Amino acid sequence: MTNVSISLQTTLAAGEPAAAAPAKMVAKNLNFYYGDFRALIDINLTVPEHRVTALIGPSGCGKSTLLRIFNKIYAVYPNQRAEGEIILDGANLLDPKYPLNRLRSKVGMVFQKPVPFPMSIYDNVAYGISHYEKLGRADMEVRVEQALRQGALWDEVKDKLKQSALGLSGGQQQRLCIARAVALKPEVILFDEPTSALDPIATGKIEQLIAELKQEFTILIVTHNMQQAARCSDFTAFMYLGELVEHGVTQQIFTKPSKQQTEDYITGRFG
Amino acid sequence: MDHAVSERLFLRRRITNWLALVLSGGAAIIGLFFLSWILFTTLSKGIDGLSLAMFTEMTPPPGAPIGEGGLLNAIFGSIVMCTLAVMMAAPVGIAAGTFLAEYANFRKIGSVIRFVNDILLSAPSIVLGLFVYMVLIGAPRQVATVIQNSDAGQNNWLAGLANWLIDISGFSGFAGAVALGFIVLPVVVRTTDEMLRLVPTQMREAALSLGIPQWKVTTQVLYRAAMSGILTGVMLGLARISGETAPLLFTAFNNSFWNADLGEPMANLPVTVYQFAMSPFENWQLLAWAGAFLITCFVLLVSVLARSLLLRKKMSHD
Amino acid sequence: MGTSNEHIVKSFDNELVRINVEITRMGEMALGQIEAAIDVLQRRDSKAAERVTLNDDAIDELERTISNDVLRVLALRQPMARDLREVYAALRIASDIERIGDYASNVAKRSKVLNQSALVAPARSIPALAELASELLAEALDAYAQRDADRALTMRDRDAELDAAYTSLFRELLTYMAEDPKQITPCTHLLFMAKNIERIGDHATNIAENTWFLVHGEPMSGSREKADKTSE
Repeated sequence: MTNVSISLQTTLAAGEPAAAAPAKMVAKNLNFYYGDFRALIDINLTVPEHRVTALIGPSGCGKSTLLRIFNKIYAVYPNQRAEGEIILDGANLLDPKYPLNRLRSKVGMVFQKPVPFPMSIYDNVAYGISHYEKLGRADMEVRVEQALRQGALWDEVKDKLKQSALGLSGGQQQRLCIARAVALKPEVILFDEPTSALDPIATGKIEQLIAELKQEFTILIVTHNMQQAARCSDFTAFMYLGELVEHGVTQQIFTKPSKQQTEDYITGRFG
Repeated sequence: MDHAVSERLFLRRRITNWLALVLSGGAAIIGLFFLSWILFTTLSKGIDGLSLAMFTEMTPPPGAPIGEGGLLNAIFGSIVMCTLAVMMAAPVGIAAGTFLAEYANFRKIGSVIRFVNDILLSAPSIVLGLFVYMVLIGAPRQVATVIQNSDAGQNNWLAGLANWLIDISGFSGFAGAVALGFIVLPVVVRTTDEMLRLVPTQMREAALSLGIPQWKVTTQVLYRAAMSGILTGVMLGLARISGETAPLLFTAFNNSFWNADLGEPMANLPVTVYQFAMSPFENWQLLAWAGAFLITCFVLLVSVLARSLLLRKKMSHD
Repeated sequence: MGTSNEHIVKSFDNELVRINVEITRMGEMALGQIEAAIDVLQRRDSKAAERVTLNDDAIDELERTISNDVLRVLALRQPMARDLREVYAALRIASDIERIGDYASNVAKRSKVLNQSALVAPARSIPALAELASELLAEALDAYAQRDADRALTMRDRDAELDAAYTSLFRELLTYMAEDPKQITPCTHLLFMAKNIERIGDHATNIAENTWFLVHGEPMSGSREKADKTSE
């Protein structure tokens, strides 16, 4: 089943917390096509529960493509298709019979550019919730506050919930997007380069947020900033040209990777 | 690098720069000059005809004393037909624009529709007027004639149909509104399409990844984001049709009297201006100038409003 | 694809090379110090002893330079994987060589004192001991320069030879002191010198272990045979 203990390439003792975690999502023999072009080649990836897994690699390696399969957002575009399986809690996500909105309620996503909806801050968070649940005014307010607290934004916006979300700074907007995603109480959150548009302080706040969020959610993050992957993640997977080259505990990948390609990329000797 | 050479090059660039500035500035001034001339002429000629009576009295008979009569029926007719045209064309246009931007964006059908829309956009308005005349007036009459001249036409039901066709065909305010609608339609389609495509893809994806179905994403999120742009498109369409004369010549024609019945010829400002300006009667000519001034003001007002709406929305972004 | 051994940012490579050169230089200086100390012993030249002490300052200075360079690379370049192990090993090795330099200097200092009394018989064994230590150090430095982990392993195991030689010299000196109490002072100096030389060998093995770690990313397996039986 899916509660497989991870035995990745690691020399860490079994007591090391990062090493032992049941699998939340498992991708099996995943292939992805843009038209005829095969962008992902036989990916097998295990995403452990309540941990942060980072996907790194040079541009064009397919890490964003892989991320976007997990919530089937590629289905909007006509020429893109995926083959293989992704098992989440025993069910295959890629099965056409798997209800899409159930998938989207279990797997949330935060994008590279903060995209708050053109509504008030309160409505931004309440919008997603109201689609799934019919809540009274008081209950909704509680949920919104809870989500904004989880997004580390409550203190900054509690006096201006009715103002337009577009008036917030970049870092605040991104935290709003995170709050919006966690409001639905998903199980997995996907982050697609969440801080590449933000300054270092805002980046730091989001990284701190991710460290807090992982206690409740499983997190998969794509980043082109290796230091961020090194700081934030428990597990790191290195991809190149559509293939998963290496996957292991973060400390090991960054001190003693087992593949030369990984080492070259990490040390900046690529190309 | 030789100093003298670089100095010469620099000087040459400065001269070219200055020349370009002068030429483009001159072109702008020429355009502005003619615009202000038109406005000034229209204003000065029309101001004499402007009076409260313009808004309260009907068009006077030719040769009546100056100061008698107004443009009320024409103004009323224009307002009714323009409003009706927008009410018919805007929903269709917005829906079509939405289809283009959301569903047909990457497919071949999208480029085909856009191409056809562009043709419609630049179609001469007189052609549109003739077309509407054909469909709503000419064709029904022809069909009715054919029915009446045939043997089968003696049948009660067919005879009744023929009579009804003759009844409905004829210059009418409704036909005028339809013709104007055809002019507004491609403008709205184009603007809606563009404005929706300007909304960042990631906003779409963000809403979809919350599990919201596509149609809700479009109506509740995307329309909100693109609303000011779409409204601008509608307003620009309105500004365009308020001065259109040719299509109305074949459809609504004109009416010297008050008429609120859409089935009958309806008075309207542009055709009235056309008719009055070409006449040798002084009171009519004066009213024509006043009418032209009114149209100009209205178009100016709507355009300025549309632009300010767009600008205000832009400035509220981060 | 194309992987090369050069950094995309050339100055990073330059900094790593620089640290490498500094370590090599430091190693050469340390070897020179040991040789000079042996010289002082054999020729009983006190002036030479003073020069050795002065040179030790230069080695200390180099160690500070290397520390500084390593800190800079860590702060400014965020080295990863092999690069990280390189600078980490360089830091540790610099520290070991600095200690070796100190020991060599101590040996020379004690020789100066020793020269004031008559030559003692066991003193003949010290140069040979120092030669062996020098050989081991040279081997360790070579293994580091070549990044040859196997050679480092071999060298580490050879430290047992040095330890054994030290043990027997220790016993010899004890016997000598017991037989002739008037020779206790010079013999004590000799004891310390021998111990210093044995410590040089230990630090040389540290260098070898760091070289192994640099190459393999794991500590050298197994503990070395400590043949220093003097404390048993």
